[in-house]
Amino acid sequence: MLFNSYPFILLFLPIVLAGYFWLGRHSNLTPVIWLALASLAFYAIGSWQFSGLLLLSIAFNYGVGHLLIVAKLGASQRKAVLALGVAGDLLVLGIFKYAGFVTENLNALFGTHAAVHILLPVGISFYTFTQIAFLVDAWRGRVAAYALPHYALFVTYFPHLIAGPILHHKDMIPQFEREETKRPDGHLMLCGVIIFAIGLFKKTCLADGIQPLVALAFEARSPSFDQAWCGALAYTFQLYFDFSGYSDMAIGISLMFGIFLPVNFNSPYKATSIVDFWRRWHMTLSQFLRDYLYIPLGGNRRGRVLRYVNLMITMLLGGLWHGAAWTFVVWGALHGAYLCVNHAFNALVPGVPGVLAQPVRIAGAVLTFLAVVVAWVFFRAASMEWALRVLHAMADPSNIVFDREEIAALVLIAVYAALVWLAPNTQALMGYDHDNRRVGEALRAGRMRPLVLYGTSLVLAFGLLGIQSHSEFIYFRF
Amino acid sequence: MRGAFTYLRRLLLASIVCVLGAAALTYAVDPLQLFRSSPRAFYSDDTRVQNAGLIRSQPFDTAFMGTSLAIHFRQSDIDRALDVHSLKLAMTGSNSRQQAFVLERAIAHGAKRVIWEMDDFIFVDAADIETDPYLSVDLYRGTAKGIASYLFSAAMAKESLFTLLRSVPPLRQPLTRAAPYLPVKFALSDVDDIYALPRDFDIARDYNATKTLASFAYITAPSRSRFLGESYGFEAMVRHFEQDAVGLIARHPEVTFDIYFPPYSILQFVAMRDASPDTLKIVTDLTAVIAQRLTQLPNVRLHDFRGIKAVTHDLNNYGDVIHHSPVVDAMVLKWLAGGEYRVDPKTPTASLEQLKAQVEVYRLPKP
Repeated sequence: MLFNSYPFILLFLPIVLAGYFWLGRHSNLTPVIWLALASLAFYAIGSWQFSGLLLLSIAFNYGVGHLLIVAKLGASQRKAVLALGVAGDLLVLGIFKYAGFVTENLNALFGTHAAVHILLPVGISFYTFTQIAFLVDAWRGRVAAYALPHYALFVTYFPHLIAGPILHHKDMIPQFEREETKRPDGHLMLCGVIIFAIGLFKKTCLADGIQPLVALAFEARSPSFDQAWCGALAYTFQLYFDFSGYSDMAIGISLMFGIFLPVNFNSPYKATSIVDFWRRWHMTLSQFLRDYLYIPLGGNRRGRVLRYVNLMITMLLGGLWHGAAWTFVVWGALHGAYLCVNHAFNALVPGVPGVLAQPVRIAGAVLTFLAVVVAWVFFRAASMEWALRVLHAMADPSNIVFDREEIAALVLIAVYAALVWLAPNTQALMGYDHDNRRVGEALRAGRMRPLVLYGTSLVLAFGLLGIQSHSEFIYFRF
Repeated sequence: MRGAFTYLRRLLLASIVCVLGAAALTYAVDPLQLFRSSPRAFYSDDTRVQNAGLIRSQPFDTAFMGTSLAIHFRQSDIDRALDVHSLKLAMTGSNSRQQAFVLERAIAHGAKRVIWEMDDFIFVDAADIETDPYLSVDLYRGTAKGIASYLFSAAMAKESLFTLLRSVPPLRQPLTRAAPYLPVKFALSDVDDIYALPRDFDIARDYNATKTLASFAYITAPSRSRFLGESYGFEAMVRHFEQDAVGLIARHPEVTFDIYFPPYSILQFVAMRDASPDTLKIVTDLTAVIAQRLTQLPNVRLHDFRGIKAVTHDLNNYGDVIHHSPVVDAMVLKWLAGGEYRVDPKTPTASLEQLKAQVEVYRLPKP
């Protein structure tokens, strides 16, 4: 089921909200069970054939986690249980996500013709990572025993299930346990609707609106210089509005239930360096990779060379997490290399004179944006050959068309660029403070209330009018 | 707390008002001319949507159908050459199911003659028209669902707003001039300009032997040659032809169908000969069946332009191996008017045999 669909907005969401708060009058546990069941229904409506796999995965991880938390095991036994749990998760992910890719490469190496056709279960990358983090923390002794309904809801919670944000049990389960979240809070509801409206508008009007321009580069046999740049920039903005729109909708929906989700985007294209970019883009994935991969690998504690090696490994695996294709590996490798260069530069040039600070920041922002756009070409292209063709066109200014269509595309891209660089992001607009569980304090105080309300009504109206018959989120594929 | 719920109600009510307001604006402006025709209307290159409005709003007695091979024709040129009142409904990348559906609607709205540029590849994949995501049958039929999807649409509201702004006298001239360069769909002030190339278009830049040969090299490269015949299947293509083309023609004996096989460059067939001979066989077998079937139907005149060497062997006429220049468009109209390449019902495959012979002996020009 899609957030940007009439059945979800007009039927599913109101019914689940009504049931949740009605049950909340009588008990603190039944709303949790209701929400977990509703989340499973949400998943099954779109991917019923993989519901069993999701339930199995929950049961397996809950069982392994329970062993780590409750059972009295020795250190080596605990390590073995953790290894079993993580290996089980990675094995399932490997089979469903990477078996085809591995077979394809073995075929290419040995000239064989083996074929593996396995459908990718929606959301598997997200719920696998979420649960691996749970197991590792259970092994580290940082997890209290959770009840099964709360754990099941933590994994399946429908606002985040398909495409994140990647949640942390420590952040979510205590919120599910709180009694206050079972009572409807008008202010949180209002803020939730506003944030949802912004996300819906981002998706249906902005992301879907610029999507046709992507074809200029990625569906043309031989794009010109301007077409390749227009297509690559269009995808850069499409991906941002698509994914950040989804994240806003997830945060908004969750807020209606009184639950605060972590922020996933913080104006990433305003980043002044690649390090800064990764603190702003898909933030929950970056945090996961840092805490559960980069730091366990040694992080920056074992000298400069190993730090770069760890960065490369982390980003390569981050690339592979997005998809089983060499284009994603190259995308990850590029970002790994960018990060290494960034850290090396910081080590070599520790300080910039005050007078140069602003120009250096602007140059850094421009360079970072261009580097990100180049990497997105690999992320979007159907194959390496196609990516190289687009990049080749982007580097060949002698072949320019600049006709009616390209000029119109450029105008639209300029509008999106202005939005991305000049407009505040959703959490800044709404004063969303995940850590302190606060949102919309300015709205509550009455400052600019009519402007916000009527502005939002227009945004919500256009978001609803922009709903097309079926427009999936890009990150559903990962 | 109660205040917050009041604001929430207000927000939702205001949203409903905005939605209804946007629908009312689209209804009043009616950019697609679904409800009423307007002499001050503007037109869009999005032909799968635009055609639904054209069929309802334009006067015509002849419908002109095809794929990208027929997209650059101007209605005024067609009218002049064939002495008709035409409506161009060609759609890039369209399949036989879509073409037959749109033609059926055009016939229902008064077309007495159909000129149909018929490619073999339109019969490859003809998905169910009722669930076709690229062409809204409800919009063409004017059902409640189709009208609702038109009125309750952010894209149409945006277009209506732009049209409204353009109707303000001081803004009319600058916005009309700027429209083709802005991200709006309804930018063309003349129906004749839909997908037509500008009069001052640099033909030699876009149509020349260099581009044609580059395209040939591209599609015949070993890594891509398998795509030449992708999804081609003789039985399925014949079935689609029978259902879409013969079915439509048989249902409308009162309509005259001028159907033509377009003048692809010889390289289109040579590419198949060299890189995918099975595909070439399917194409020639299929067009043999088409020629035999169509020439037996009393309301069909079939024209075969594929073997006109003077055109198809001159690679400067093409932008790739199939798409010919506007110069050839004009020739096509002349040939249709003169009827000199009309297929003789007694020897329906004679022109095909000539083409086969040409393909067999053709050798690529040396670089």
